[in-house]
Amino acid sequence: MPIQKTQISRFKLLLGAVVGIIGLSVLFLLAMNVVRDLRLLTSANSDNVQWTLSQAEVEFLEYRLALGIASVRKEPDLDQIRQEFDIFYSRIITLDQASNYEGLRSLPEFSRNLEIVKAFIFRAAQVIDGTDEEFAQALPELLIITREARAGVRTMSNSGLVFFAQDSDIRRTKIAFTLIQMALVVAFLLAALVVLVVYLNNLNIQNIRRRSEVVQINDRIKVVTSTALDAVIVTDSHGRIRDFNSAAEQIFGYAANDAIGNDVGALIVPDYLREAHNKGMQQLRKNGERHVVGMGRIKMDGKRANGAIIPLEFAVQSAMTEEGEIFIAFLRDISHRVKAEQDLVSARDRAVAGEKSKTDFLATMSHEIRTPLNGLLGNLSLLRETRLSAKQFRYIRNMETSGRLLMSHISDVLDITKYDAGKLRLRPISMNISALLQDIVDSQSGAAIANDTELDWNWNGPSVDWISADRDRIQHILMNVVGNAVKFTRNGRVTVEVEIINDSADVCELQFIISDTGIGMDSELQSQIFDDFMTGDSSYDREVGGTGLGLGIAQRFVKALGGTIEVESILGEGSAFCIRFPVKAIAPPEAVMQSIARARKSPASNILLVEDNEINRMVAREMLTAAGHKVTEARNGQIAVDLAETEHFDLILMDISMPVLDGREATRAIRAGQGPSSQTPIIALTANAMAEEQAAFRNDGMNDILTKPLTQKGLIRIVSNHVAHKIGKTQTLAPESPELSQTISTAYLEDLRATLGVKPLQSLLDRFITETDEIMDELCDHAHHPLAEIAATAHRLAGSAAALGALDLRTALVTVEQAAKAHDTARLVAAIDTLPKIWTTTRPLMQAERRRTSRTDA
Amino acid sequence: MNRALFYAVVMTVFTAIAATAQALPAPAGPVILTVSGDIDVTNVDDTAQFDLAMLNAMDSTTFSTSTIWTKGTRSFKGVPLNVLVESLGIEGETLRATAVNDYAIDIPISDAVQNGPILAYEMDGRTMTLRDKGPLWLVYPYDLNANYRTEVIYSRSIWQLDRITALK
Repeated sequence: MPIQKTQISRFKLLLGAVVGIIGLSVLFLLAMNVVRDLRLLTSANSDNVQWTLSQAEVEFLEYRLALGIASVRKEPDLDQIRQEFDIFYSRIITLDQASNYEGLRSLPEFSRNLEIVKAFIFRAAQVIDGTDEEFAQALPELLIITREARAGVRTMSNSGLVFFAQDSDIRRTKIAFTLIQMALVVAFLLAALVVLVVYLNNLNIQNIRRRSEVVQINDRIKVVTSTALDAVIVTDSHGRIRDFNSAAEQIFGYAANDAIGNDVGALIVPDYLREAHNKGMQQLRKNGERHVVGMGRIKMDGKRANGAIIPLEFAVQSAMTEEGEIFIAFLRDISHRVKAEQDLVSARDRAVAGEKSKTDFLATMSHEIRTPLNGLLGNLSLLRETRLSAKQFRYIRNMETSGRLLMSHISDVLDITKYDAGKLRLRPISMNISALLQDIVDSQSGAAIANDTELDWNWNGPSVDWISADRDRIQHILMNVVGNAVKFTRNGRVTVEVEIINDSADVCELQFIISDTGIGMDSELQSQIFDDFMTGDSSYDREVGGTGLGLGIAQRFVKALGGTIEVESILGEGSAFCIRFPVKAIAPPEAVMQSIARARKSPASNILLVEDNEINRMVAREMLTAAGHKVTEARNGQIAVDLAETEHFDLILMDISMPVLDGREATRAIRAGQGPSSQTPIIALTANAMAEEQAAFRNDGMNDILTKPLTQKGLIRIVSNHVAHKIGKTQTLAPESPELSQTISTAYLEDLRATLGVKPLQSLLDRFITETDEIMDELCDHAHHPLAEIAATAHRLAGSAAALGALDLRTALVTVEQAAKAHDTARLVAAIDTLPKIWTTTRPLMQAERRRTSRTDA
Repeated sequence: MNRALFYAVVMTVFTAIAATAQALPAPAGPVILTVSGDIDVTNVDDTAQFDLAMLNAMDSTTFSTSTIWTKGTRSFKGVPLNVLVESLGIEGETLRATAVNDYAIDIPISDAVQNGPILAYEMDGRTMTLRDKGPLWLVYPYDLNANYRTEVIYSRSIWQLDRITALK
């Protein structure tokens, strides 16, 4: 914990300071003591006592000597005596009064003798202070008392000796004490010095260790950067390179020595980025604006020494140092990665292109094969309507079944493509499963009889007839498996058993067991039969024929239905296929269907049929006229466009691939034109079921698509849908009954959703709603826009509305467009006035459609 | 300017200076101090002799201080040593002071400074007798300056002073 460490070291520092201050204070006090003591020693508060005492004795003796001399002379020198006495007197008074002799005076013996001497001098003074005559007469007496005082002076002087000894002792002790104090101070100082030395030594050791650590870390960092695979470039805030590791040398082709000190921009930034780089550095220095630093990984081009541009990925970080901010850039040469990415992209593009060309090929092939087949089937269909014997009728039915099977083979190829591309869509319809099984058994019975094989089917347990399921797929699966069983069985028996398993509320799972007593398969073959182009024993194949795709497709379809297909077989004894998939059981719809068919029965309509293939054209015409419609034929798109210019049709059936002008071009021309049929529903006739193209047709202005081969049922349904719808819509345009309007075609949108996918349709609807919101404003503000612009805008939006099934809106917009083009302002205003109301109704419906993910959600 | 007049002025000035330098009158009363040796100003033979009146006439200083030889603080009045040294034109290094009892001590001229020792002739406003360490006592301002409270200075504090010899 760094915080705790800091606190501890702070505490240590404080403690050290306190101890240091206390130590210094003690040292200072001690030193002051010593200095004071030393000063006391120099400034003695006494002069030499011993000398004074002996001086007193000397002066006494001098006085006595003068007195002695005077007493033997005739004319004694009295002044001499007086002077000597005064000197002695002065000495004794000093001894008696001086402060520095207090210690001496405290000695009893000294003070007693001092008193004796004082008594003597006072008495002597009385004599001496008299006149010369009196003094001369008293000399003998003075001699006597002076002699008597001698002992006192002597004793007083001697008694001082004791004091000298004591005084010396005290002085010596004092000096000794002072010296001890001094020694203590010195010792203390020494100790402090030792502590300081130890401390400094520790500090030094620590510093050395830290320094070596720093050196080690530096070395390590150097090793790391120099061996790093990424280039590491360190610059200062002016872009001068300060470090350039060996990876940088390799990537950029400069030696570190040449690079260091140079401007990083001039060295490694490509010319076209140089200006931006310099500007960036300037901004950085000026106001710390960062575009690159600390922004994570960035991809940018770099320049090598030889001028080559290389893609780089780099990250820049900054750090503050004593010499200002530095920037550390880690750069990686991603040439290889970029190349790999490009390779990958081009590989993918090639693969996609390959896939597309395959799809295109298959689509074209299926179209080319289906067109003549359609003719065949159409003629069979017509033939069946003629007077026939029962035998002939059966043959025709068998031919039809086989023809359809052939058609379905072609569809198979497309289905495999679709399934593998994830585009296979189920088309559930109401169907009778029992009827389907009977149909299949019937169609295969010929082959079975030829092989002397019994073929039958039955329900195992309770049965269900009507289900909602993708009839085509189920038929394909069962036909394939049953067909195989019949193919590989001689003199045996093929049985189809159907059973309802796992019956719940509205979903029941059907199980089909197709067992035969045929040749069977070994386990190796069993594991391969669902593979594509698996044809089993080649010699036998030649005998029985087959594409080898059948079971592969069957398996795909079963999976698409959400079911399973399994096989059990013993070589030489037979095989059993078990197929399970869920279906939706429904009530028998027959009566309802019939009533719907009747209800939908269209009024006689005027139909333009555009088809280049004569047989197909004839078939379609026959079917339509049989239903009571009037048919006008056109061999190609151009004829159709011309006809539509002059005549009104209730419906146009438009083939796509045609000479002169194809169906899409023709449709666009009709829609763009002003003719009476420019708004007539146009139905695409195509054998090409590719989803992408279907969307394209609708964009061209086609209203629906009818897939070839044409069936009477399909044709009639289409006609009734569009013509009836048209009539209904015409009625809804009347303002009295707007609620009857089919504002949007949900069925069409559902188709579109199935075609385009949920997500793309959502985004289309989003765009459409936003776009329409804007254009509505623009159109309502028509007074400020030229008519040509309004016409163009209305046309554009009408196209969008048509493409997304907003039928009312489209109709209204077309009216707007026409009025604008005709410069009919009154009509234009009236038409535009209807727009907001229609959009108010349409918008929430479109939004609801946008939220819908599929029809079943409704 | 008249040359004669110029010389006259110059001469007058010199005479005046000479007169000041040798204006030490002969002592009238009893001599209490005799300064001999290397001195510029004399009045009796080669010496400068002073009676009390002459000393009184000179610049004086008064200060109070305690001494180790007396009781309590005393007031001393006297001629500062530096004044005496200057007035006698003494230029040597040392003064040898001698007391009536022939106690002698060498005092360096460097002691003769302002606020330094004085030749005290009055203590507490009274002339000092021989018995009171008079007539002259070289007193340092002990209380004023710690440097004056040393044994050396105490030994220089000569009392009953009557002779000074200026040594070269």
